[in-house]
Amino acid sequence: MINIKDLSLTVDKLTIFNSANINIPKDKITVLVGPNGVGKTTLLKLISGVIKPQSGTIEKNCKELFYLPQRIKYPQGITLQEYIESSFYKQNWKWFLSKEEKQKVSEVLELLELMDKKETLIDNLSSGELQKANIALGLVSNADVLLLDEPTSNMDLINQIKVLDIIKKLTQKGVSSIIVLHDINLSSSYGDYFVGISKERKIITAEKKDFIKAEILNEIFGINFKVINSEEDFHIQIFN
Amino acid sequence: MNKTKKIIVILILLILLIMSLYLAMYAGYKDIGINMLCKAFNLGDDTESVILSVLRYPRALKAFIAGCCLALSGMFMQSVSKNPLAEPYITGISAGAGLGIVLSILFFNSANYSVFGFVGALLSSAIVIACSGFSKFSITKLILIGLSMNIFVSSLISLIILVNPMKSYMMMLILSGGVTNNEIISNKMLLILFLLALLVCSIFIPKLNYLRLDSDLIEANKSNKYLYTVVIIVLASFLTSLSVFAAGILGFVGIIAPQISRMLLGQDYRWLFVSNILIGSSLILFADYIARTIIYPLQVPLGLVVAFIGAPVFVYFLTRKGDMFRD
Repeated sequence: MINIKDLSLTVDKLTIFNSANINIPKDKITVLVGPNGVGKTTLLKLISGVIKPQSGTIEKNCKELFYLPQRIKYPQGITLQEYIESSFYKQNWKWFLSKEEKQKVSEVLELLELMDKKETLIDNLSSGELQKANIALGLVSNADVLLLDEPTSNMDLINQIKVLDIIKKLTQKGVSSIIVLHDINLSSSYGDYFVGISKERKIITAEKKDFIKAEILNEIFGINFKVINSEEDFHIQIFN
Repeated sequence: MNKTKKIIVILILLILLIMSLYLAMYAGYKDIGINMLCKAFNLGDDTESVILSVLRYPRALKAFIAGCCLALSGMFMQSVSKNPLAEPYITGISAGAGLGIVLSILFFNSANYSVFGFVGALLSSAIVIACSGFSKFSITKLILIGLSMNIFVSSLISLIILVNPMKSYMMMLILSGGVTNNEIISNKMLLILFLLALLVCSIFIPKLNYLRLDSDLIEANKSNKYLYTVVIIVLASFLTSLSVFAAGILGFVGIIAPQISRMLLGQDYRWLFVSNILIGSSLILFADYIARTIIYPLQVPLGLVVAFIGAPVFVYFLTRKGDMFRD
């Protein structure tokens, strides 16, 4: 679905990508893993088009992308509901939202269990709730590719699982996701395809069963892992 | 904030506007009786009618248009730059329009001043925005470059006025700010252009509700953001030049009207559009009433009165609701 060929990017004399080739499959959850500062966020920005590569091509076979940056500036003085409704002013020029659009906002709020907060000013929401609000923006956006940069970093465990479950369900409806996740166990239970970037900026791409292996994880993170493999479920322990 | 509260706020602002309009048209050295209201559109030859049609109506029209345009222009600029300080005066766009007009007075005596005013406003905004990074505005950079632009262009205008004493009177009118009878553009033309600008604004208002989202998020999700930015800047420049045609270079309105609106109504631009029109125009109409009556027969410069009224009101709102600016 997304084919990256010979991608090169140098920022401040630091080579982040040097003719990298990455192919990201359709209708799957692709997880980007790797230590801090190796270029996971940069890769998402390149795919989203926020920054342009110095050389190489990024071929995108999708209708519409939704990119959720890691750091977001929020408008002040609007409620959660109005925040999500903002998305609908994108395509059309009308002053008022239709009933269907309002209905869709309600459905998404219901799905993310934010219904009781819909009249709350977004200035007063917790970080986890704000992240859920941003996921809601993605869900109402009609995009068929979601690029999510650490979407669950401020959420409690239950919400992390809920949000990832929702994203997982979307893959059956033809919505592919590319996610940066730091929890390796969550990654291994929700990811279908993996792109790992090591400290030495080596890029390893593989399906889950070929990726969740001690030697590959060791190479990427530079620490020792133990992978306990029971059929399709993996459990990963860290030995340091 | 729920809808009823917003409607009440708008109604209160509307009452303020009507009061200011009344003061601007019917009160003053010669108070014109309320009975004249009844035949407001059917004026005769008596003194009161002449005062109304020749002095008060055009003056009120100009004040109204200047206030609306400055407030809306400020709102647009603050929305695209995501910067509460962006404003036509501070960023030098008003001065750019002023320079355009001054140059046209200087070199093309009979030519259309308004075209030059608009081109001047557009050029100065283009320079400011291009220098501060096109799609990703750096907050401090935009303001600092705008400030430099403002000082540079204002000084240039002063210099031109100094070395051209023959034509300085009309140029001074533009620089000092005030709704006197400058003849930059006919009232009819001004009104037509203003209505046209309002129409274009109302088309773009809902888009601002999308553009209030994070700029990286918008940029990736639709590549049209660039286009909207350009259109909105052109629109803001056009509004600014209209305000300069109507009332010369006036500061402060473009910053306080949008800010007070936001503090009252949040950040739904459909409501802000209405409240900016109401607050901006009331402020200038009321300030102009004070300016022409307080030490009659002398007139206080309009800019001074705007500052005297605007600053305390603005500070009051900031102290009450200033936590909106805590980032």
